[in-house]
Amino acid sequence: MTTDGDLVAQLRAALSPERVRTDPMELGLYARDASMLVGRASVVCFPESTEEVAAAVAACARAGRPFVARGSGTGLAGGATPVGDEPPVVIVTTKMNRILDVDADSRVAWVQPGVLNLDLSRAVAHFGLHFAPDPSSQQSCSVGGNVANNSGGPHCLLYGVTNAHILAVEVVLPDGQVVVLGGLDPEPDGLDLRGAFVGSEGTMGIATRIAVRLTPLPPTVATLLADFPTMADAARAVTAVIAAGVVPAALEMMDATIVEVVEAFVHAGFPTDAAAVLLVEVDGLSGGLAVVTDVVTSVLARHGARAVRVAADAAERAAWWKGRKSAFGAVARIAPNYYLHDCVVPRTHLVEVLEQVSRICAEQDLTLGNVFHAGDGNLHPLIVFDARVPGVLERVHAAGAAIVEACVAAGGSLSGEHGIGLEKRDAMPLVFGPADLRAQAHLRDAFDPAGLCNPAKVLPRGGTRCADVADLPEGVWI
Amino acid sequence: MTRGRVLPLDLDELAACVSCGLCLAHCPTYRATGEETRSPRGRIAAMRAVEAGAEAGPSFLDILGTCVVCRACETACPSSVPFGHLMEASRQAVADRAVPWWQRLAYRTLEHPRLLAALTAAGAVAQRAHLVPGSLRRRLSLPELPLRRARLAATGGDVWLLTGCVMDAWQRPVHADTVAVLAAMGVGVALPGPGAACCGALHSHAGLHGRAATLARRVMAALPGPAPVLVDSAGCGAALKEYGHLLGTAEGAAFSARVFDIQEWIAARADLLPAPMPSHRRLRIAVQDPCHLRHVQKAESHVRTVLRPYGELVELTDEGRCCGAGGAFSALQPELARTIRSEKTAVIDAAGADVVASPNPGCAMWLAAAGVEVRHPMEIVAAAAGLAAPR
Ligand code: SF4
Ligand code: SF4
Repeated sequence: MTTDGDLVAQLRAALSPERVRTDPMELGLYARDASMLVGRASVVCFPESTEEVAAAVAACARAGRPFVARGSGTGLAGGATPVGDEPPVVIVTTKMNRILDVDADSRVAWVQPGVLNLDLSRAVAHFGLHFAPDPSSQQSCSVGGNVANNSGGPHCLLYGVTNAHILAVEVVLPDGQVVVLGGLDPEPDGLDLRGAFVGSEGTMGIATRIAVRLTPLPPTVATLLADFPTMADAARAVTAVIAAGVVPAALEMMDATIVEVVEAFVHAGFPTDAAAVLLVEVDGLSGGLAVVTDVVTSVLARHGARAVRVAADAAERAAWWKGRKSAFGAVARIAPNYYLHDCVVPRTHLVEVLEQVSRICAEQDLTLGNVFHAGDGNLHPLIVFDARVPGVLERVHAAGAAIVEACVAAGGSLSGEHGIGLEKRDAMPLVFGPADLRAQAHLRDAFDPAGLCNPAKVLPRGGTRCADVADLPEGVWI
Repeated sequence: MTRGRVLPLDLDELAACVSCGLCLAHCPTYRATGEETRSPRGRIAAMRAVEAGAEAGPSFLDILGTCVVCRACETACPSSVPFGHLMEASRQAVADRAVPWWQRLAYRTLEHPRLLAALTAAGAVAQRAHLVPGSLRRRLSLPELPLRRARLAATGGDVWLLTGCVMDAWQRPVHADTVAVLAAMGVGVALPGPGAACCGALHSHAGLHGRAATLARRVMAALPGPAPVLVDSAGCGAALKEYGHLLGTAEGAAFSARVFDIQEWIAARADLLPAPMPSHRRLRIAVQDPCHLRHVQKAESHVRTVLRPYGELVELTDEGRCCGAGGAFSALQPELARTIRSEKTAVIDAAGADVVASPNPGCAMWLAAAGVEVRHPMEIVAAAAGLAAPR
């Protein structure tokens, strides 16, 4: 067996001594992502090129040591939390943060995985383009992380999630080989391995170059803010807007708890006395926009909106979105910890599932906030608590399990956009039968026969060959 | 409030970070390195580790010492984690080991105006005789020091103007222009005695809490009465506004409430500003937001209000990111500071302005050392209105 010392020496030779770290305090900072799942890293390294990633992965493969890729570490499902039979090597892609090439005419850019989502959109804005997936962590999350999680975001209602915006990926496979999956042609030949890779949560290799599709910025945008006396009215209004034949660019809901904390942070004029607020954005050519805005306004009013406001200017629109996208952090104003769920229910079941969720939290005596992508039924029940209170974690987890079960029972799925990671791994059998799980495990094994690449994530077993990683490894704290 | 066992910080404030990472992209040292040890979230996690029993050894000192204390993370943080307080309290716990003797000596110099003046004169001669060794020149990146100081006289008693340390020694014309602009607005300026020579900002950033508190009390004594205290250095202004927190007394808080950034105070009376001279050429002015004006004083809009009558304002595209000066940071962490500065100068170049307005002397000198054309807003106003003091 290769010792830590040998592995570190090989990594240092492959990268540079300075970019391979083993200091215990530094390792501790890489033991978790933005979830509450804590693992343990044995080495942290910072490659700067495809060749260095390949060399680092090859060194791990030779040593039989698991490894985990990490971007900005803003994931919420523990996807970048290092767990394994032995503490994994964390391969951090943040120093690979260059936009390599922008072809504005073909609307394609090649980027390194560490480029931040919002930096990319800003860098191509002068071409009238942007990278459409816009997760709430957009300012900090990396494109590589978006690929791993197949991230969504408010505007994915109209534009589609990350998968629809990735044309090709250069991947370092778990044995250190470099391949390109997908291509720039509209319909590349062969099986869509690119499609398999996007959303594989770091279990099939490490993306080192990504060809992203750039989307024209909408010519005109109208953002509407509607407030409702009850959550149920707001939920019915959501269904009615879509039923009216409008596909808004985004359709978001926030409940009273969230509106209150968000308003305290951004001072954007959110109605703090409303039971629920809908943020609706429509875009398009200026002629049609006025018509669509009128349709949406009248549908909202018919379904009980007390008031519908249209953002007066870009500054007001930006303030509303800043509020929406800061919601998760802003809840720390109530209590220092939160557990953010992410599941999808059919839009028509929104009202009943929301009621169930609030009943579940009330039973466990927990504070609940709701802020979510109502347009596609992607719920984000947010349980706010202080982990220092004895016994609270058990109640949080009991509520979490009940919420997931309620969503699945209503015909929904486990995760809208955060991924399965470690957090939802053991809930996979709720939605997949043994045959489905086996098929997924075979696909994963085809990419990673040795089971070293982000092990213990996504699938209840780390792959068909690693049947022993059935339980959460010791030291993992959920 | 419960204080930490190891670090003298508020444990509730430490618990407020939810590790979301939304601050990362706004942190200049994270942007320069992509490393958690150089990020707000990582620094907070390290503080927690130390509180939980990890050794506060060399890596902890490095994690603390590489922070600019720009406090951009505070503005970005949706949970409102008071990062500046956490950092200053953590540094306080390790100051014995973290602050070397030469740094303490340099800070002491700032407290003594005559000594600083004498050193400035000696330095000015040495610079002109090319006697300053290259290594020291690079580390400190000093501006050209003045051989002789301009005269500065009080004009009345409506407001105090904090004169400060380095600024008074090296950039007195900025004070003179400030007094001239205020005079044109019909405002008489009183100047404090030598007690107000050092605001203690650098001491507090370094965790030298006791010394900072002593200096704060001295400054308060030198600026008595109800008159507003105006400050034309953003870093000093932020420090004075935090005396309430630093001292934890009602007196300190009452003093802090009297403190205004010069632009902030003038913006509320912008109708009194002198008209530009007919011959004045309207410049394209890029406003550089000093971190402690934007993230601590939250007064960056006032700079724009004050400058608007005199030129065409150009916004930089980096949301006010730090320039790397950070008080003593550029001298203590020169390499990191230069990396941060090169990103800033690239953004400034792209803006295509005639001049950069910086309301903080530290940022101004640091950017000027990289070849940027920088002026204090008061210099721009005074020049446009024909009030500029002779240089
Ligand atoms: S400091 Fe604030 S923004 Fe940064 S990780 Fe902590 S909670 Fe999030
Ligand atoms: S104060 Fe500035 S340098 Fe320090 S962690 Fe916050 S943003 Fe980063």
